[in-house]
Amino acid sequence: MTRKVPDTCDVLHQSAKDDLAHAYDYDPSDPLFGLHHHDLSGPKLQRRTVLRLLAAAGTLSATHLLPGMGVRSASAAKSGGHLRCAWAGTAEIVTLDPARMNQVLQFQITSNALSGLTHIDANLVAQGDLATDWSVSPDGLEWIFNLREGVKFHNGDPFTADDVLFTYNRSKDPKESIHSRVIGNVEQVSKLGDYKVKFLLKAPQASFLVKTLERASGRAMTIVSRGALESMGKSQYGLTPVGTGPFRVTFHELGQGVVLERNEDYYDPDRPKLDKVTITPIADPEPLAAALEAGDVDLIGGNTPASELVDRFESNPDLVVNSVSDPGFQAVWMNPWREPFQVSDFNKPVDQLQKEKGFKVRLAIAKALDRQRFIDQALFGRGFPAYGSINPAMGFFFDKDLGKNSPQRYEPEVAKKLLAEAGYPDGKGFPTLRLLHNPANRRRAQVIAGILKRSLNIELELETKDGPVVLQDYLQMNFDTALLGSGGDFDPDDAIVDWMQTESKFNGLKRDKSKMAFGYFSDRQADKLIDQQRLETDPAKRKTLVQEANAITSAKVACAFLYHPMSILVHRKKVDYPAESRIPGLVEFDRVTIS
Amino acid sequence: MGKFLLRRSLGAIIVMWAVATLVFFMLRAVPGDPMLAMVFDTGDPAAADEMRRDFGLDQPVYVQYVKYFFQVMQGNLGTSIYGSRVPVSRIVAEAFPRTMSLALLSFLLAVVIAVPAGLISALKKHSAIDHGVTVVAFIGLSMPDFWLAILLIIVFAAQLQWLPAVGYVPLAQGFWPWFSHLILPTIAIGTPFAAVIARMIRSSMLEVLKSDFMRVSRSKGLLEKRLLIVHAFPNALIPVVTVMGIALALLMAGTVVVENVFAIKGLGRVLIQGILNRDYPVVQGAILVVSAIFVFSNLLVDALYTVIDPRIRYD
Repeated sequence: MTRKVPDTCDVLHQSAKDDLAHAYDYDPSDPLFGLHHHDLSGPKLQRRTVLRLLAAAGTLSATHLLPGMGVRSASAAKSGGHLRCAWAGTAEIVTLDPARMNQVLQFQITSNALSGLTHIDANLVAQGDLATDWSVSPDGLEWIFNLREGVKFHNGDPFTADDVLFTYNRSKDPKESIHSRVIGNVEQVSKLGDYKVKFLLKAPQASFLVKTLERASGRAMTIVSRGALESMGKSQYGLTPVGTGPFRVTFHELGQGVVLERNEDYYDPDRPKLDKVTITPIADPEPLAAALEAGDVDLIGGNTPASELVDRFESNPDLVVNSVSDPGFQAVWMNPWREPFQVSDFNKPVDQLQKEKGFKVRLAIAKALDRQRFIDQALFGRGFPAYGSINPAMGFFFDKDLGKNSPQRYEPEVAKKLLAEAGYPDGKGFPTLRLLHNPANRRRAQVIAGILKRSLNIELELETKDGPVVLQDYLQMNFDTALLGSGGDFDPDDAIVDWMQTESKFNGLKRDKSKMAFGYFSDRQADKLIDQQRLETDPAKRKTLVQEANAITSAKVACAFLYHPMSILVHRKKVDYPAESRIPGLVEFDRVTIS
Repeated sequence: MGKFLLRRSLGAIIVMWAVATLVFFMLRAVPGDPMLAMVFDTGDPAAADEMRRDFGLDQPVYVQYVKYFFQVMQGNLGTSIYGSRVPVSRIVAEAFPRTMSLALLSFLLAVVIAVPAGLISALKKHSAIDHGVTVVAFIGLSMPDFWLAILLIIVFAAQLQWLPAVGYVPLAQGFWPWFSHLILPTIAIGTPFAAVIARMIRSSMLEVLKSDFMRVSRSKGLLEKRLLIVHAFPNALIPVVTVMGIALALLMAGTVVVENVFAIKGLGRVLIQGILNRDYPVVQGAILVVSAIFVFSNLLVDALYTVIDPRIRYD
């Protein structure tokens, strides 16, 4: 399929026309935009490759094609400067040690200081980072990576294959790392030379490059420095980690903030541009907005700023607001072990399930959730309706028709009818249920309760608890309904492997197994499809498996899917944040410039 | 006096032990697993069990308590179990200068406003000035500090752009950067305290001015200024110093809400963050320090009584 070439080619000479035609000549559903892997490897990209990436990102303009102008050279851009950032919604950056990080707002920072073998780009496609290229055996079990030579850690130590092995051995020990499960599928890592390593997998894994080896969200294989860890000790390393990334962490005091300074020895001499980045955590929304408006900070990272502030930022001529879909989903979970949601066996076909009282109630609630109303009222319009866990940021894997096809689609009259069939006509006799949520989700819980009251005339009592208590209750299946979900889902595995399988890590992990055979959901067909997609390395086939599994979880109401969040980046106009750095959920400083 | 101080110091240590013990057991009674909290969102819940063992949190509570007790006796507050395993003493030591800076400046501001306002209000009883001071004091008392803090940020940082909106800069980086970051939080915290102290000075002064010795002194022909400064004011100070002592202790224990608004990680914020994360060692350590501040500042106030009023003797 060839995309339409814009009319701008009229003003360009023939070679530019050719470049332009080539840039747009790809299938938009192809995650690699018609490029081969070798086109994308290495520190330098071909001109035509870069034009294709710009076209795919929707940022290709005539200036990129003019003779002598070309694609803006990184070295030609303005360098230097001090970028002051606020990290929203947090009082402190608890740790920057990849082995112990547990929040997106932490790996947003480490992604600027530490490296992985791969790093996702703005389209969530894995690119080489410390690996220059790699090959995989036909059975998908052996992965051989050539490592970048001449790379130095911030403390001057050279990076070699030994560091990959050290990181692996550290991360697989659950005493050392909370992410040991991420590399559970790795059987062995061996050194084939100073700059060559081999990963032997237990089973093929489609998400290996995007999830396991990724420098930011991966964490298990974010390369750490053995020398620095031993000389600094774990706690200091957790504050000022030493890596091979574009910036060095030169200061970190809990609650006070983090300072990053340019790594002069970074492997790409054209990056980073900035001399210094300071990061100050600001928990409250109003001071955060004031600090940005007063010019005390130039950019907001961390958690997405409170939705109610974004309109205000958009109306400020000094600010730029950039919204893209964020990788994640939020849902209302209904406990299948409690009335009125009881479902004894999700393995039954949907038409049989639909005859059961508990399933009717679940479906009624899912259908009564006016997601657009929720997004407008609770998120000030900033979100996308969700009908499954696969999010729009995943692009290629996202099923944009699910909203039309899923039984969870908004149909209030059908929902009322289902509730009546379940024995609760117009909500009469329906028990008052509790909606478990953390304090940050209070407004969202109120809006959900309001929508269900209005559409089904049922009552939800808000049950606000601290985050750790919500999690404990959720994992123990100690809730009627619960509002929570996932963030940082860059690969389908994050959404479906972690949440939708019988043995998923969040699926009633701490429940009383003698009383509850499964957690919130269990379906053999979904389990099988999810296992298959994990092993499938052909993107097109994997997409089919992912979407089928996603459709089952939606049709069988694993939960009432609610919304996919938006990643909202706000900065002052003087900050040039290029499109290629706009990776959903991350805040990449290496190409950022400031005037 | 020496015996008194020794006795009170021993009592203070017992109070601190009781507080630490109470906090230790209460924390463990609070629902919410610290390890699950740490691995949530992106981590692996199975790793939580491993870390629980690693920190000894899988042992019976009394075993944990005995270990904690001996650890504290050796001056070791332990390490944070959430995040980077930073020593608690370091977390507290980093927060302390911020809290001290904020507390002392706020206290100073409160005293500077309250003493003249309270005195004038008492001396010009029922005058327009007295009513004015009373109204302003009540406004100061009734304004929630977080609201005042946000108002100050909007006006002086966002609109006028005279002062930084948030953050803290250590004194080592220069007086103005340090001071400019503390002006708005100092006003937010100091104003309500000024109102309390001013009201206390007013009522205490009115009490003293009505007393017999004042009538005698006045009838002996003492100058009014000397009468007020040398005789009335010191006598009125006893209850005021008590309130000031409590106010200072409260300020030094951290003003959570204002620290949060201005993104200053003082002791209060350390404590709240510790509670939210179920970071037991941090909460225990911070509470121990806060209780020490309270008991020893009370002790200081008691000792100050003897300086202000020579009639008070503890021996």
